Amino acid sequence: MQIANASSPDEKTVKPIEDDRDLAAISEAIEHAKHYLPAQGPISIFVHHNTLHSFEHLPFDQAVIEGGKRYGCEPYLSEDRYRQELRCNRISVDDLRQILMDDLADDADQLVASFGTRYTLRLAMLQMNLHTAPEAELQWLLRESDLLKRFRGEVSDSRRERFVAATRTWVLRQRESESPNIVREIVQNSGNKKVQSWNDDAWEAFTLKALWRSCYDGVKAANAPYPTEVPSRSLEQLLRRLDGIQIHETVNEVLIRFCGGFLDQGFAEWSLPDRELGFAKSFANLFSSRFSIVPIWMKGLGSEMETIAKENFDPIRSINESLAAMGVKPEDIQETLTESLLALRGWAGMIWQTESNSPHLPNPIPTGTLNEYLAIRLILQRYAIADAGRLHFGTRDLTKIREQVELKSHRRNHRTSPSINERTYTIFQLAQAGGWTPEQLVSMSVEQWTCLVREIEMFDSLDRRRILHAAYELHYQASALDAIAIHSARRQKQSQQPAATCPTFLAIFCIDDREESFRRHLEEVEPECQTASAAGFFAVAMYYQGADHAHFRPLCPAIVKPQHYVREEPTFSTVTESKKRAEHRRRIGFVTHQVHANSRTMTGGWITSVFGALATFPMVARIMAPRLTSRIRESLGTFVKPPATELHLERTAPQPGREPDSLGYSVDEMASIVERILQDIGRVDNFPPIVVFFGHGSGSLNNPHESAYNCGACSGGRGGPNARAFSNMANDPRVRRLVAKRGIEIPEDVRFVGAFHNTCNDDVEYYDLDLLPRTHRELFRQIEASVNETRCRNAHERSRRFNSAPLSMTPAESLQHVEQRAEDLSQARPEYNHATNALVTVGRRDWTRGLFMDRRVFLTQYDPAVDDDNVTVLTRILQAAIPVCAGINLEYYFSTVDVEGYGCGSKLPHNVASMIGVMTGAASDLRPGLSQQMVEIHEPMRMLFVIETTPEKLDMIIAQNESIARLIQGNWVQIALIDPQTSTILRYVQGSYQPYVPSETEIPTANSSVDWYRGIRDHLGFASINNTETAGR
Amino acid sequence: MTPLEITFHILGTAVIASPIALLCILGLSSLAGYKLGESVTSRLTQASVWLTSLPTVGIVVLMLATGIRYVPIELGNWVSIPEQHFHFHLKFAFDRLSIPFLLLSCTLCGVVGEFTRRYLHREEGYQRFFLFYAVFFCGMVLSSLASTIETLFVGWEMVGLSSALLVAYFHNRINPVRQAERIWSIYRLSDAALLVAAITMHHMTGEGDFGGLMSSGVWPEGSAAIDSSQALFVGVLILIAAAGKSALFPLSGWLPRAMEGPTPSSAIFYGALSVHLGAYLLLRLSPIIAASLTLQIMVISLGAVSAVCGAIMSRVQSDIKVSLAYASLTQVGVIVVEVGMGLHYLALIHIVGHACLRTMQLLRAPTLLRDVNDLENKIGARLPNETWSDAGHRRPKFGRWWYRFGFERGFMDVTLDTYVVRPFVCVASFCDRIERTITDKISSESSRESDNAELHPEKINRVA
Repeated sequence: MQIANASSPDEKTVKPIEDDRDLAAISEAIEHAKHYLPAQGPISIFVHHNTLHSFEHLPFDQAVIEGGKRYGCEPYLSEDRYRQELRCNRISVDDLRQILMDDLADDADQLVASFGTRYTLRLAMLQMNLHTAPEAELQWLLRESDLLKRFRGEVSDSRRERFVAATRTWVLRQRESESPNIVREIVQNSGNKKVQSWNDDAWEAFTLKALWRSCYDGVKAANAPYPTEVPSRSLEQLLRRLDGIQIHETVNEVLIRFCGGFLDQGFAEWSLPDRELGFAKSFANLFSSRFSIVPIWMKGLGSEMETIAKENFDPIRSINESLAAMGVKPEDIQETLTESLLALRGWAGMIWQTESNSPHLPNPIPTGTLNEYLAIRLILQRYAIADAGRLHFGTRDLTKIREQVELKSHRRNHRTSPSINERTYTIFQLAQAGGWTPEQLVSMSVEQWTCLVREIEMFDSLDRRRILHAAYELHYQASALDAIAIHSARRQKQSQQPAATCPTFLAIFCIDDREESFRRHLEEVEPECQTASAAGFFAVAMYYQGADHAHFRPLCPAIVKPQHYVREEPTFSTVTESKKRAEHRRRIGFVTHQVHANSRTMTGGWITSVFGALATFPMVARIMAPRLTSRIRESLGTFVKPPATELHLERTAPQPGREPDSLGYSVDEMASIVERILQDIGRVDNFPPIVVFFGHGSGSLNNPHESAYNCGACSGGRGGPNARAFSNMANDPRVRRLVAKRGIEIPEDVRFVGAFHNTCNDDVEYYDLDLLPRTHRELFRQIEASVNETRCRNAHERSRRFNSAPLSMTPAESLQHVEQRAEDLSQARPEYNHATNALVTVGRRDWTRGLFMDRRVFLTQYDPAVDDDNVTVLTRILQAAIPVCAGINLEYYFSTVDVEGYGCGSKLPHNVASMIGVMTGAASDLRPGLSQQMVEIHEPMRMLFVIETTPEKLDMIIAQNESIARLIQGNWVQIALIDPQTSTILRYVQGSYQPYVPSETEIPTANSSVDWYRGIRDHLGFASINNTETAGR
Repeated sequence: MTPLEITFHILGTAVIASPIALLCILGLSSLAGYKLGESVTSRLTQASVWLTSLPTVGIVVLMLATGIRYVPIELGNWVSIPEQHFHFHLKFAFDRLSIPFLLLSCTLCGVVGEFTRRYLHREEGYQRFFLFYAVFFCGMVLSSLASTIETLFVGWEMVGLSSALLVAYFHNRINPVRQAERIWSIYRLSDAALLVAAITMHHMTGEGDFGGLMSSGVWPEGSAAIDSSQALFVGVLILIAAAGKSALFPLSGWLPRAMEGPTPSSAIFYGALSVHLGAYLLLRLSPIIAASLTLQIMVISLGAVSAVCGAIMSRVQSDIKVSLAYASLTQVGVIVVEVGMGLHYLALIHIVGHACLRTMQLLRAPTLLRDVNDLENKIGARLPNETWSDAGHRRPKFGRWWYRFGFERGFMDVTLDTYVVRPFVCVASFCDRIERTITDKISSESSRESDNAELHPEKINRVA
């Protein structure tokens, strides 16, 4: 048991509450608070998550607000940004009207004062730039600016003239004695009292003054109440608000460094002492060491730490004591703990992720670390508060500090409601835009004013942004659905007679949005081919180790825990050679490591520095000519690369595992995988001679987020080995026999080839080509040629988004350009990754083939004809596609709307910390999320899924899958269903399906993709590409 | 003047004029509110670097060809007050010390400029960065060529100013600005020391010319023209100046804080040039150091202590940039030791090599994860990484304490805060309390309206 007086820095005896119930309550509170921590694990295995995963039980619009409050972040883009989109027609007024009508429903016609309905008022508020200013700025505006002399710039000349004329008539018509007070007062105060002799400017000024005065009087008379904020009760927040004392920052400074040392995965040469004893013990040991100089606020901490180091430490009990010492009331415990945990949420989240989800790390940490972290944190907070109290209130007693602070906060009356001037200013602007004359305003009753003020404040900035955002989404989605409806109808017309011909070859890609353009170009280059897609791990969920890899790495979606281990091994004839090369590699690696590690020490550093001038040559070369340098390095590297390899894919032992015998899959398991993928892509007959599976990944330099650019379905790994493994399985005659028994006949002359597409430099490499029969080689060369042409074109289309790539480049030059980007140390945007993603189609490629979708769509293959009545195939496709795509999409959404809060800010000052995450600068919280450079061209919108199925079937899936249901019913994703036969579309709106009526009847056509995008950098609309025809299946 | 002298003069003036011209173009255009395009800005910078390095190379070739070892460029007395024995003398010198350092500055500024051209693409503060960069480049050229202490001071100030401004490059966040202020305050301390040294030198020799300090010979052969106690006094001031600029003990605390700026600025300032400027100053004034044994011992011990502290602190850090910053410090400490021991050429080679190496390491710091992964793949296992207890037998006896020492960054900042800043603040707030008591008494009520003022929103809002 803790000694009571050790729990409080002022040595005052606090009676610890030793009640088990309290402890349980605290555990529960921590358990609850944990959910608010970011879910991102170590950055080298980057998995996209919904940033607000802990709010997923709420509907989207509510969650963004609640989450925004919790984390202090923005829920939507800024109002200015939406206005800008409104000006350039990215949002149209019709969109606003439609959204507003739907939102208000029956309340739309409610009358507001005498100016119209709630609908018209809100529409006006949405379209104008409502400026708000704090009281002090307003005073300045009123006195020094043209606010009361000139109309706002937005008000058109004709409207202004009418406005002034009406006011002039109103004033002149009245006899002086009868005119309202405000008119008389303004006339009295103006220089020239003869109203008849005023010029236009004088009248304009008069009108505005009268307008201001009438608004001011009205607002004052109305004196409408304003919803008051609940004052925060945590001591830290009160101190910050009252005196600007930053308790959390003081504590963070210590904890950032300590967490860095504690979570370090082997960067620091000296690891943290006593790390294996756990967070608290290790911290206590470190901070109880003698002969050290501590900052003033930590005085006395050493002896308390000594106690912790020596005795048994129960974190929950310690937390309880700290809370008691700080005088936290039972009802505030939850909030206090959550606040403390979130004060350094990146590090705390990483502790939580590391202790719960990352067993593969070199330095794992024990469970319960988060509790210990919190306990230590609260102790530090106590000391920091006590020190602040000593400075500002003359006492170190936490309860006294709380009393004083609360007293002070009562005394200092914080004004939360807007002042009269602030309210007046809003109405004043609205009146100008809406043409409400002083005459009308003066005659309004107090009730009407109250109603007006209330109406305006009800539609506050947050609510306006919600509507603007909905319109922003609607605009894109309407154009997408129009395009799909029109295009699919066009496709339907073209392929009236389903010719069951066989394509020249079939190419299977990941569903990734970056492969959309690659597929489209491949289909343009080779109109006789067909493409399809499946989640990029191709149902081969495995731990994989390459021939030149040190470890196994999971290659499957993060939600799946693989059972199988697969290793790439040298072919039997090259085993000796391979060993020799591995030894060379090991030596090179060892020397490089020694040089790098020792360059940071004193003597090693001395040696490396004296010869350091030699480092100039590679440095200059890499920066001046990245592509050339990398080529040279690569060709040098071939001497130590593993020679010919094969996958150790077949298992002999009964159970899978890591031992040599248990590596791989049984034939039966392979058959299931092959069957599943072929069903998923809807290809059960009519196989062409060659089927190529493309896995994908991405390689770039100076990019701590490199893993985020890889295949999302391989938990941030490279999907090449999956494609290779799948092809090997499908080529195995025994597997084919089993698959044939299950109803899918793969003819003998069909060969599967695995390939890897690097989405950053658009490189493609093929696996196991030696196994290709001679009969297939000619066709393969043809495929290779088409793919090479496609690589150029794909690079060309991608380059249009890079501002630093000239638009005049040819496709071949573009390919060089993207190759250069991948090797460039100074390139902060090697590729744009999933930025601009907005759409998912689930269905046959037939109805989207040839539709230019600007790399914004995840194309998921699904053929209802292959599915059974229980929609097994669609269910398993959606079980993967919806959470994965929604995760990617929502992470992009949140990182874009608030790149500092939800995202990780600018990439430029990032600093890799503990090899587990990035900090901004020298010491900051760990930054999960995406960087500004990754999201800068993204349009934050929720994902729209267009699924080829019927409402009944989807309802069935929703009913059976809780996670899908939560995302769909909470509007985290949006759903539309399509019937390609008739091109009719149904939209899912709050549980029901409403027919979608296309607003367009035509979409543009172009002869090729390049004709459509050439010369344009921005987001591009949809278009039908003519030149991609082939007989549909 | 002979044609050779004229050629030297023209080339030398070009070397100095080109960075100043760059600074004027970038500075005036942003002063006038005209935003130069990204490519124009970076091309101007590159051109200026070329126009500085090519004439330098020309001078080197001529010097080698003619065997001349010292080329002074006189730009005259700009201020001269005969009664006070003061003149502001602009004089630059090309010799064996300044030329390597100048060429190093040009190479690194050129390479890092090229790096930044792409790295900062689409960045809002692109022009601002290159403006500060121009200030820095100009400062480096001036201070490496300076032949009088007042010229050196001009360059020195420019380097300091641009460092602080680039640390605060992300000025919309709180941390960078705060750290930049801290760095600035340390820099001011060292500036003050340098200024006092300059004045003292004027008093002693009547001029600030380094040549005048040294009775004979050009660097590194010169010997001091002042006696050893004078040398000690000036030397200590110079040492303080150098310690501030090169983050030597006990002023190392600012070095990790400087990592708030974009990667390239961190690389060139704290890996390469700025951090070596203190060592360069000592090297430039090495005859003075040689003149006093006490001073020599002080230099050596300061360097050694800094190197040891740096090595320990670097071992403890778990993030790449701070670790590299302290690794830099270690080598700078070693360089200072070398200077103290009179190993001038070694020190110079060490500076050049170390600057290049560290720049490269810092530029590619963000690629750490990939590099480690590659290494592990090559080696075929995890990188050797011992826990504390595994390695216990090889640790020094007070291992834990040393760890704490590194963890607390040598207790340097804490000590400065507690024993220097705090007493100062205490005195100030004591005065404040007295004043408040008196004014309250006079007005017989609470006399400070500001006590009840609401805090500025920035102070209570969230911190980035």
